[in-house]
Amino acid sequence: MRRYILRRLLQGLVLLVLVATIVFFLGRLTGNPVDLMLPEDATQEDREALIETLGLGGPLHQQFGMFLAKALRGDLGDSIRHREPAVKVFFSRLPNTLKIVPGTMILALILAIPLGILSALYRGGIIDKIAGAIGVLGIATPNFWLGILLIYVFSVQLGWLPSARMGGPQHYILPTITLGTFLVAGFMRLIRSSMLDVLDSEFVKLARIKGLSETIVVWKHCLRNALIPVLSLWGVLMGALVTGAIVTETVFAWPGIGRLTYEAVIFRDYPLLQAVIILDAVLIVFINLVVDILYAYVDPRIRVAE
Amino acid sequence: MRHCDLLKGWLLPVLLALAWTAVAAEKQEGTLVVALGTLGAQSMDPIQETRSPHAHYHAPMYDALVGFNFENGGKGPGVAERWELAKDGLSWTFHIRKGLKWHNGDPLTAHDVKFSFERTMSKESIASNKAALRRDVKRIEVVDDYTLQIYTNGVQVHFAEGLSRATYQVGQLMPKKYIETVGAEEFRKKPIGSGPWKFVKSVPGDRIEYEAVDYPHWRGTPHFKRLTLLLVPEESTRVAMVRTGEAAIAEISPESIKEVKAAKLKVISVPGTMQAIYQMYGLYLPESQKNPLADKRVREALSLAIDRQQIIDHVMYGEASWPLPFDIYQYSSDTDIERWRKWSREAFRYDPKRAKQLLAEAGYPNGFELKFANTAMAGTPFMVPIGLAVADFWNRLGVKVKYTHYEWGSFAPLLLGEQKQLVGVVSMYRTAGRPVAAPRFYGAFHSKGAHHLLGRGNDCPDLCKTFDELHKAVTVEQDAVQRAEKTNRMIELASDAWVAVPIIEGMGYWAVNPKKVGAFKAIPGRHEFGDVFERMPRPEEKRWQ
Repeated sequence: MRRYILRRLLQGLVLLVLVATIVFFLGRLTGNPVDLMLPEDATQEDREALIETLGLGGPLHQQFGMFLAKALRGDLGDSIRHREPAVKVFFSRLPNTLKIVPGTMILALILAIPLGILSALYRGGIIDKIAGAIGVLGIATPNFWLGILLIYVFSVQLGWLPSARMGGPQHYILPTITLGTFLVAGFMRLIRSSMLDVLDSEFVKLARIKGLSETIVVWKHCLRNALIPVLSLWGVLMGALVTGAIVTETVFAWPGIGRLTYEAVIFRDYPLLQAVIILDAVLIVFINLVVDILYAYVDPRIRVAE
Repeated sequence: MRHCDLLKGWLLPVLLALAWTAVAAEKQEGTLVVALGTLGAQSMDPIQETRSPHAHYHAPMYDALVGFNFENGGKGPGVAERWELAKDGLSWTFHIRKGLKWHNGDPLTAHDVKFSFERTMSKESIASNKAALRRDVKRIEVVDDYTLQIYTNGVQVHFAEGLSRATYQVGQLMPKKYIETVGAEEFRKKPIGSGPWKFVKSVPGDRIEYEAVDYPHWRGTPHFKRLTLLLVPEESTRVAMVRTGEAAIAEISPESIKEVKAAKLKVISVPGTMQAIYQMYGLYLPESQKNPLADKRVREALSLAIDRQQIIDHVMYGEASWPLPFDIYQYSSDTDIERWRKWSREAFRYDPKRAKQLLAEAGYPNGFELKFANTAMAGTPFMVPIGLAVADFWNRLGVKVKYTHYEWGSFAPLLLGEQKQLVGVVSMYRTAGRPVAAPRFYGAFHSKGAHHLLGRGNDCPDLCKTFDELHKAVTVEQDAVQRAEKTNRMIELASDAWVAVPIIEGMGYWAVNPKKVGAFKAIPGRHEFGDVFERMPRPEEKRWQ
């Protein structure tokens, strides 16, 4: 097991170096912050002066060398826009994103597990068809549109909930639903197909022959086995939730990591963009490592194969 | 303009305003909540922000040496109540109001002003007016606590305008003693200014909170007790917040105007904040001479093919104006506005018949292929649909438009670099509303300007040389009548070149909940409300008509 974890850690490290290299060069392909910062009547001299002030001079390979040297010491540079260490800016926004992730996950699992099980148990029936429709709708509905729709209905028309921003518990309801809808659909479809596989397996048949009640068969034997692939998806989606809530955070004016990433791209804030993506990658690698370890514990075949 | 006796005719209104604000200060209550699309870098240190978002959030708490003409736009008295240009034209003397104070109670003096400008010009500064100040200022001398003399590099007749937030929207004046005592880091955490709003709190990516000063302020004493600027990037959400009353005011674009009016909210359209234009690159180069755009008749034909009224009515939902010439607004100084208003009505008319005739005369009766780069700068997303409409009008003329869309961040380096990829290309662009045209004309047309549309270096034909000379003459002319005459000639020359052509004059758009804020007026040409918040009454004080 220790060798397995060590190997995953090394793989993660290689991945991070690759990510850092790609982000450094790709970020610079599409423009630079200097041109976005200067006023319309700025001269070439003004441009050069600002490049010097921001420390953006010198050839690209030289800048990359400096970036790598600093990164190894844990310094990912200062945000051009915020004039603060990029790592500090990232960690100032991370807690805000993390605040909506647990609620979203809980909502997704509370709805997806029973729906997935029921649609597998009543395959082809009315429940399965309704659950299928919910699944398609959940995946196909753009959360940008859903967010605006929820605001229109529950804030503007009914006046029940605030339109946006962080605040008391009522502020979490609409962003959580918006972010969670996609997850509900994804989890539900996966649980349904896993359940169908497990329900058809030999050990379930044996359990039924042994005279175990249907509740114990379904909830104890089937669900535990059906949740193994869900765990993998959970890891992937957890990372995506932290880093990919750009649209939800924008619609609900939520000052999290997703919006910070968007702002860094638009403003060509290279150091911040690099820091956000690298730290996001660290987070995803970490989450996936945890999931892989859990997976290995849950499913002994993985340990044996390793 | 040897003497700027701006107090004439101002004294009585100012005294009345002070008396009124003293009464109003006693009744400050409630919170004015404003939802904005961006808070920029959200740094409260004026030297750490570069572009216009700081006009929203620096202006409430910081003052500028030169202020606004609130009625017509352009410059007016600020912390300096008046100023003069020396007879030799090489220095400006600013007379600072007495009795002004910083939020910690320290007096505001000429020493603070000198310190502020020097800090803005320092190496660590990225302020938008840094470059202009470094170019123009030779040295600054404090004559006494309330008199400052600024020596310029050569004659700078437009120097005072450049110190108004009508030009650069920076939070300009910073407290010398406080910063020197606590240091820059602490100042950034606990900033103080001299404006009508005191800083309370800044939550990155979310909001900035202020509290009104409780004494009469020369800019107007706030009617509300608190001011909160919210960062709400999505426009639909901002509109929803105004509808629900979570915000009193929100920044919007023309697309939302219909919805806002239908919800019985008010729409404020600030006139003269920008011009949407198109411009052509590298036509002065030898290799461009075979390009159809090198023929002035073709360039004029392209303008005549655009139905500007249709764009105003249908793309801008009626909330835009017929443009004046390039970078000219109703509040532009040294300009014969009436003359140019008549000229632009005629020159920018929709005349497809004449356009076709001009194309035929130039030898292109069946049109030609035109490369068009559509893009929109930050804050003006409606430039993209305007660009699409323009391309459509040109297609109708018979021109085959080869259309490319650029995100602004990827277009800017092409424009501000060598422009090799833009030779013979037409692109969308904009001019921001400012009272003095000369700096923007320099950027667009001068051979050393960023866009150098008429020529550059060795490729500077006669028109380019004439422009450079005329521009220089405008910027050093001390006689107001002579300067106006030269400015009008400069506008004439640039307009007749048809290389940078206005399409519409845009506005700044805001949705207002009349139950949350009383009736107020914006400053013409200044989209942002940073200098207006203190003049906004509570809803019960002044109802909307």
